[in-house]
Amino acid sequence: MVSISLFFYFGIFLAIVGSLATAWGPGVSDSVVRLFNTEIASIGVSLVLLCYNHTLALLTLVATTVIITLILFRAIIRLEEMGADV
Amino acid sequence: MFIAPNAISVGFISMYLPAIYAGLIVGFIGSIAIAINRREIHILILTDIVGLAMLFIVAAVGTDLAEALILPGLVVELAETLAISEILLSREMHKLEKDKRRTTSLFPTPFLLDMEVMTTAPNFIALVLVVYGMFLTGFTGGAVTGGGILLYAISRKARGLPIAVFDGIGGVSGIAWCLWLIGFVLFFVMPQFWMISLLLAAFGLLLKVASKVGLIGVLMKEDLENEGGN
Repeated sequence: MVSISLFFYFGIFLAIVGSLATAWGPGVSDSVVRLFNTEIASIGVSLVLLCYNHTLALLTLVATTVIITLILFRAIIRLEEMGADV
Repeated sequence: MFIAPNAISVGFISMYLPAIYAGLIVGFIGSIAIAINRREIHILILTDIVGLAMLFIVAAVGTDLAEALILPGLVVELAETLAISEILLSREMHKLEKDKRRTTSLFPTPFLLDMEVMTTAPNFIALVLVVYGMFLTGFTGGAVTGGGILLYAISRKARGLPIAVFDGIGGVSGIAWCLWLIGFVLFFVMPQFWMISLLLAAFGLLLKVASKVGLIGVLMKEDLENEGGN
């Protein structure tokens, strides 16, 4: 049987690594790459919420992450089409 | 050592300090990166990371209170991201308007992405989210239902299809407030009908939050009008 603390610490590790990758990771001058890197951190937070038995919070996190990604993608693509500096 | 109430199970107490420290580290990284960056859209993406740090700190409480606090936090973060991205877009449009030398169209063609998975998967996921949200009721149900409506609207939009626009969505919000208030008053005046007042409040909140999140689809109305004009 796998212990819960393994998932918990792996979630913390993923969140910290994901936020480092979002802040200073390779290729983050491209905003699309930066947006993808935030997904790593959000998977880490999902694991931590799973360990705490926060089912509803986990479901809401998944739903809002999808919507926020779509909204930010729309913003990035429209800014690029307008010729702005993204 | 800190004092933990009896409501928290023993396993969660040992997870408290690591979660708080992880939240602080993630928040620190996000804030430093926001301070360094200059471009607005990058700052908006990094705000997401700071929001995740907030989730860590709240989740460390480990009781139902944590869950109750995480849900509004997530929905508010969603609304905030949407509002700021709209402001960024409109500001960029104003900049282009002032610059007379540019010949690019003020309203560029919206983003099109026609893949097979977008015709089948979003409909099913949206249906599941709406039905599950109706079942949940209350704040969470509203958020989940609104998410389903929004996902449906955005996937139709991405395929270049028209989305249905509901003009009276503000009226639904008013009805929801009335339901909520009636439920609240009934709860105090006739406590023996607590069940029906609880359900009234829950369905009112469901309608309220779902219509608020569904409003995001109305924002895409302006895109539709531009397409018609072109």
